This record gives sequence, C-alpha cells and structure tokens, in this order.
Amino acid sequence: MAFEPPLCYILLALFMTYALILTYKTLVARDLVKAIIYSAGQAVAYTLALVMMAAPDLVLAYVAVGVGMYTALFLFVVSRTERYEQEKIERGVEESG
Amino acid sequence: MGLIPPIETTYTLLGFATGLFILASIFYFIRVVKGPTLPDIVLAIDVLSYDLAVFIILFSVLCNSPLLAVGALPLMLWAYLLDMYVAKYFMKKELGE
Amino acid sequence: MYELVEAIIYYVGIVMVILGGILDLIASIGMNRFKNFYLRLHAATIGSIGGGFYPLIGIGLVVLTIHSLGTMKYYVAGIAFTTAFFLLITAPTGSHALAQGAHRAKIVLPEPAVVNRLLEDEEKVEGGE
Repeated sequence: MAFEPPLCYILLALFMTYALILTYKTLVARDLVKAIIYSAGQAVAYTLALVMMAAPDLVLAYVAVGVGMYTALFLFVVSRTERYEQEKIERGVEESG
Repeated sequence: MGLIPPIETTYTLLGFATGLFILASIFYFIRVVKGPTLPDIVLAIDVLSYDLAVFIILFSVLCNSPLLAVGALPLMLWAYLLDMYVAKYFMKKELGE
Repeated sequence: MYELVEAIIYYVGIVMVILGGILDLIASIGMNRFKNFYLRLHAATIGSIGGGFYPLIGIGLVVLTIHSLGTMKYYVAGIAFTTAFFLLITAPTGSHALAQGAHRAKIVLPEPAVVNRLLEDEEKVEGGE
C-alpha cells in the first residue's frame, strides 16, 4: 500500500546498480582479497534485490552462500597462494621463448 | 480512544524513516567504492548490511507481507562472520611470517 | 489503561525509528568525511548501534500496535527483537577485531600520531621472539 509498483522498481534498479558497479570493481581489481570483499558486497546487493522481488527463501540461501561460504573458501584459497595478481604469464613466455 | 493516530500516519512516518535508510545506504556505498584500503571496504560493507537489515524489516511492514522479514537476521549474522574472517586473515597472514 | 500503555509503546517506538534513521544518515555522512580508518570506526559505531539497534527496537514496538497484521505482528516483532539483540552483541566485537587485525598487520596506521606505544610494544614483542 505504501510501496506502489513504481517505487519498488526504482529501489530494485538502485540495488542492481550497486551490484553492477561492484561486479565491475571485482573484475578490474588487482588485489585478490579486495576482489573477494567486493564480491561479498555484490552478494549483499543481490540479497536486497531478491527481497524486492519477494523471494525470502532465495534470500536465505543466497546470503549464506554469497556472503559467508564464498568469502571463507576464497580467503582460505588466497592465503595459500599469492595475494597480488602479476603479469607472470607474459614473463614466462619471454623467458621460455 | 484517540491516543494513537490512524494507520496512514504510521505508514507515512515509517516511509519517511525508510527514505532516510535508503539515503544512508547510498553514502555507505560511496565509501565502499572509493575506500582506499581493505579494512575501510570491510567496515563499510559491514555497516551497509546492518543498515539494509533494518530496511528489510521496514519494507516488510510497509508492504503488509511479514514473511519477507525473515532475511534480516541471516544478513546481519553473515556480515559479522565476514568481519571475523577478514580479521583472522590479517592476523594469520602477517604474523605468521 | 490498556490503551494508555499501547499509546506509550507506540510513541516510544516511532520516536526510536525516526531517531535511528537520522543517526544512520549522520553516520553515513561521517563515513565519507573522516580521513582515516581509525576515525571511521567512530562513524561505524554510530551506524551500527544508533542506526541499527535503536530502529530495530523501535520497529518491534511499533509493529505490536498495528492490529491490521493480525497474528503476524508477533512474528515481525520477534524477528526485530532477536536481530537487535544479536546486533548489540556482534557489532562491537566485529569492529574491534577488524581494528585489531588492521593495526597488528600494519595495513593502516594512525597518521597524525605523536607517539604510538602500542606499535612499539608490538615490535618489542616480535623482536623478543
């Protein structure tokens, strides 16, 4: 009653804009831990988009996977490897060739 | 009898508070995007998710569909676990070497 | 008598919701205007307790007086009170752990600092080991 359809759609567009910007920041980030944290923020934005589309069961699944499990698993993986992304492939090609 | 104002006034006041929370989420998102260091981004995502958990309950009351409110508690608790994961990563990674 | 108690609950709740919204807006502006990570922790405290705990208690009190929701008002009020309780426990713990981790790993240091005894003690402990 207080939230008629145009206002709902505007809020949905706002949260999807959050998700779009954070996805772009995830793609261009050179720091892998920063990319993981941006992806967690994108999961928060998607959660709110799912609330806007009235799907609370998907919210329960998505927030557990996107914010919790994904971040824990990828932080564990990155702690075993290097944190900063480098141009190792090009250098390897130059050395071998 | 007339101690409590009618229901439309309540919905108007709650809608005003919802607008304040949406405006606050925009400013928090600006800090998420341009945060210089990693703890700034994590802190901003943390407070952003607390803010949006309040927004979920307000939205479910305003839309007159209380089943949407179930997403607030998992969002808040998983954001807290994101905080603890990143803090644990900092301590282990830099102190272990 | 019952109407009086209900009116008191309603007005306390609606004042807490509006106050929480204003405090959250102030905290979000402060989050953009502070210069350092350790200064932004103050804004984060206002945003989590003043902007999260107060409005959740307020919504739980206001919803108890909306009779058009039927029995579901107890459902929403229970979720609001439980979320407020866990928020009161977990938000200071999380921000404290994050600040301790950031200082221990030397990612950010307090910039306009004359003396930093905590950093000297940490270096002494690390050197002693």
